[in-house]
Amino acid sequence: MTLIFDHLRKQYGSHVAIDDVSTDFAPGMIHGVIGPNGAGKSTLINMTAGSYTVSAGSITLDGKRLDGKKKYEIANSGVARTYQNIRLFDQMTALENLEVCFYPTEGGGTWLEVLWPPYARVRSARRRAACMEILRFFNLEGYAGMEAGSLPYGRQRMLEIARALVMNPRVLLLDEPAAGLNHQETAELTSKLAELRSPDRIMIIVEHDMDLVMTLCDRIVVMHHGKLLFQGTPAQVQANPDVQLAYLGTSNDIDEIRNAAQNRRTELRIRARRRS
Amino acid sequence: MSVSETSARAVPRSNRLVSILIFAVALALIFTTPFLPNYYVRVANSLLIYILLGTGLNIVIGYAGLLDLGFVAFYAVGAYTYGLLASPQLGLHLPFLLIVVIAALLGMLAGILLGVPVLTLRGDYLAIVTLGFGEIIRIVMNNVDWLTNGPKGIARLDKASIFGLPLATPVEIYWLLIVVVILTALIVWRMEHSILGKAWAAVREDQDAARGIGINTTNAKLAAFATSATIGSIAGVIFAASQRFVSPESFSLQESVLIVLMIVIGGIGNILGIVAGAAILILLPEVLREFAEWRILFLGILMVVLIIIRPAGIVPRSFGPDKLLRGLFGK
Repeated sequence: MTLIFDHLRKQYGSHVAIDDVSTDFAPGMIHGVIGPNGAGKSTLINMTAGSYTVSAGSITLDGKRLDGKKKYEIANSGVARTYQNIRLFDQMTALENLEVCFYPTEGGGTWLEVLWPPYARVRSARRRAACMEILRFFNLEGYAGMEAGSLPYGRQRMLEIARALVMNPRVLLLDEPAAGLNHQETAELTSKLAELRSPDRIMIIVEHDMDLVMTLCDRIVVMHHGKLLFQGTPAQVQANPDVQLAYLGTSNDIDEIRNAAQNRRTELRIRARRRS
Repeated sequence: MSVSETSARAVPRSNRLVSILIFAVALALIFTTPFLPNYYVRVANSLLIYILLGTGLNIVIGYAGLLDLGFVAFYAVGAYTYGLLASPQLGLHLPFLLIVVIAALLGMLAGILLGVPVLTLRGDYLAIVTLGFGEIIRIVMNNVDWLTNGPKGIARLDKASIFGLPLATPVEIYWLLIVVVILTALIVWRMEHSILGKAWAAVREDQDAARGIGINTTNAKLAAFATSATIGSIAGVIFAASQRFVSPESFSLQESVLIVLMIVIGGIGNILGIVAGAAILILLPEVLREFAEWRILFLGILMVVLIIIRPAGIVPRSFGPDKLLRGLFGK
């Protein structure tokens, strides 16, 4: 059972952002989605998570249609995501950012929590323990009581991934998780993501950092002008002349891809610094 | 560092001192007020009703981040529920507690009725629509003469009582209000810290990301509207029972604005802030009564000054009831 895109299409007026994309994502693997800017990578993520509607075609997860469902319903059927521009709950603490993920399953017990303190204590202790464990995995336990918005940029990226993991999602969608991170942070991220690979989990990473994609991903989907250009192992992707052409015009030098990625990384870092 | 270690961190001495001081002053005020002349007790009652209203509206504005300018409508629902069910108007004289229950349910219903159509709106748009809703309720009360007596209002409301305990004099109403305010504050404070309270905060911070982690934002917002409306409606019942008279002019737009101001000046999202905001906005006009035509000017200047020096409100969100309690009882 897998996540399947079937003749997927996304259209804004006359502009076609995603054009007839059919592919599937097997569990137990890390799938990379790459392509030049504007290729439609983020659009794929946004359609899967329900942020964008689907113009035509379908998205199915384990045999159930995802497209057409509301965003929160998709999240509750096991699809978690991060965002290209970090979207944490800034004024809540790091711990609360994770705890709130229990609302869909435990929100119904709110009145009991309000009226019967011992029950509230037990439940909130259990929630906290589960969330602290995830924070610890990402080396964020020292930030638990700090407001998410006040965390250093790199920690915010990690916290967003941590939040996506609270409900142990079947599908984990990461939209440029390394954007704005320095080398050391990217290395840390790469090793953490590798640890998240699990037989039940479908991981999809949209990323410009070729080092990260090539070392981490088991399979890579290359997008170009909204179309699926090529899919295969990292080695196959690197050797494919179509991919090289799409990325580089005429050159076939992989170093140029890396340079392009490096430039983008610097750009995002500057943007992040300006933001904080 | 584990969670228990973080929460058990020693309480700073200054925090403890401030907490004890606040608590002592509050206790002293609560127990001396009933022995003061009736005028002071009436002012205290009005203050307590506004604290109750502020606590209710704060759920929507402070916790869920939805600017509701029509809150007074729910206050009116409660007041007119008492006016109609405990007066010669319809010849009905139901017991006070039963009316509180009916008004709470009607308030909740009104909250949901308002919530459903406006849930897709945010910010300015929400503010305008809720403002309209508040005015609609007032104008309806003003015009359905056969039911509400129109602008003349409903007079000679019953004296309230609970299990034979009379609730008619200002002092009796005062004690009722003290109990209701403390109970409401406790419940609302516990709601803020419940999982629903966290969901409200998430909706406030980033509605779309909240949906992304599976929060049904429609339900969370409806819960906020309904809870807040229930509290507003109960405040209305007590208001009507203490005045023993209701008329539409008590539920003008200015009342809604006043409650919003209390929250903003006191400290958004903080029950202690609401007490501070209400104290300033209700007591100051009383103190300045002698300077009648000047007091709006005083209030205006005060507001400008406060917004410059304390933009987050008099009591910031970080000094909430938890901190006060920890200062009192914490290790």
